[in-house]
Amino acid sequence: MRNKLILALISVGILGILSGPAFAHHGAAAYDMSKSITVTGTVTDFQFVNPHVLIAMDAKDPSGKVEKWQGELTSPNHLARAGWTKSTLKPGDQVTLIGGPAKSGSPTMWIRKIEKDGQEVSLGGGGDN
Amino acid sequence: MPKVSVWASFLLVAALAICSGASAQESPAGQRPAQGNQPAANPGQQGTRRGPAPPVQGPAHDPHDLTGIWNARRGYGGDTYTGGTPEFTSWGEDQFKKAKSSNGGQYTLQETNDPVITKCYPPGVPRIYLQPFPLQIVQTPKEAIILYEYDHTVRHIFADGRKHPEDLTATYMGDSIGRWDGDTFVVDTVGFNDKSWLDRAGRPHSDQLHVVERFQRMNQNDLEIDVTMEDAKALAKPWNAHIGFQLRPDWTIQEQVCADNGDFVSFEK
Repeated sequence: MRNKLILALISVGILGILSGPAFAHHGAAAYDMSKSITVTGTVTDFQFVNPHVLIAMDAKDPSGKVEKWQGELTSPNHLARAGWTKSTLKPGDQVTLIGGPAKSGSPTMWIRKIEKDGQEVSLGGGGDN
Repeated sequence: MPKVSVWASFLLVAALAICSGASAQESPAGQRPAQGNQPAANPGQQGTRRGPAPPVQGPAHDPHDLTGIWNARRGYGGDTYTGGTPEFTSWGEDQFKKAKSSNGGQYTLQETNDPVITKCYPPGVPRIYLQPFPLQIVQTPKEAIILYEYDHTVRHIFADGRKHPEDLTATYMGDSIGRWDGDTFVVDTVGFNDKSWLDRAGRPHSDQLHVVERFQRMNQNDLEIDVTMEDAKALAKPWNAHIGFQLRPDWTIQEQVCADNGDFVSFEK
């Protein structure tokens, strides 16, 4: 399927119900959590660092052009309790990131769900902070 | 009133009484009954402090044993407490308007003036409970020690009968003394500086802040903390707040260092 590695942007207004008062990530202003985007690509860097875990990846748009995306996760402490380690992701892994896009339009997002090789990897309830 | 209605009313009352009695007898023998539906000895919070208590499960607990690792029941989110919002003095209102919190999504990390984020100041009390990390309580005969995962913050709550020292030096976390009032551990804290916020939303306090925390272990798994904040300079009247915690017996307190924020290059742009 030629769309396997395409960049898929899906804005879903009803996801507003998922944000609201419970969402209190300490830099929430930079992301539009009333929307949700889905980006699939290949991991190029994984930093299991405090205060937030970071993922960089290459994703292809529908024309085949590679675009560099970055995703931000919760604290490594929270992810460690969900079973993550610094080796949970490696360069070359195929992942799908689902989350709130940057308001600036830059190719970054706050990750609320992640799939590796088609399987969801639990964030342990840390998707909102 | 027609007889049928009288009988219907009688049966309804009887059914409710039976149901009530049955639920009250569900606690196994030897266990304390669930007390979570009962308000703490804090009249200002009755009816608003928490929802229904969770069911009592597992072995009987010692209500004077607060030890263990606890995580806020709300999870990792939230920038303030459950319960009402505070009423400020004019000074407090002015300070609140100056606060630029990034925790609720209004300001970016580049714009915020949150002293915890921008300067790594200790969060103070009770804001420390809103930092999205667990805490561990250790008890000795003379004190309760709270080890907060957030930035290695530690509190010593002296419970040996001492009073607050006179002429206290103002600190971020204040001076805490505790005593048992029945099954409630009452912690009194004074001696704060004015460099922290009451919550992650930017609600202010002054060096006149006086905090009373009431710890109640409701069952094996649930710890409730009712907090009363008094501050004649910042608050027009005491602010009552509540936070609920769940025991996390399989967790450990990990390293979490605020100073790492300075090296962190967020993707937020």
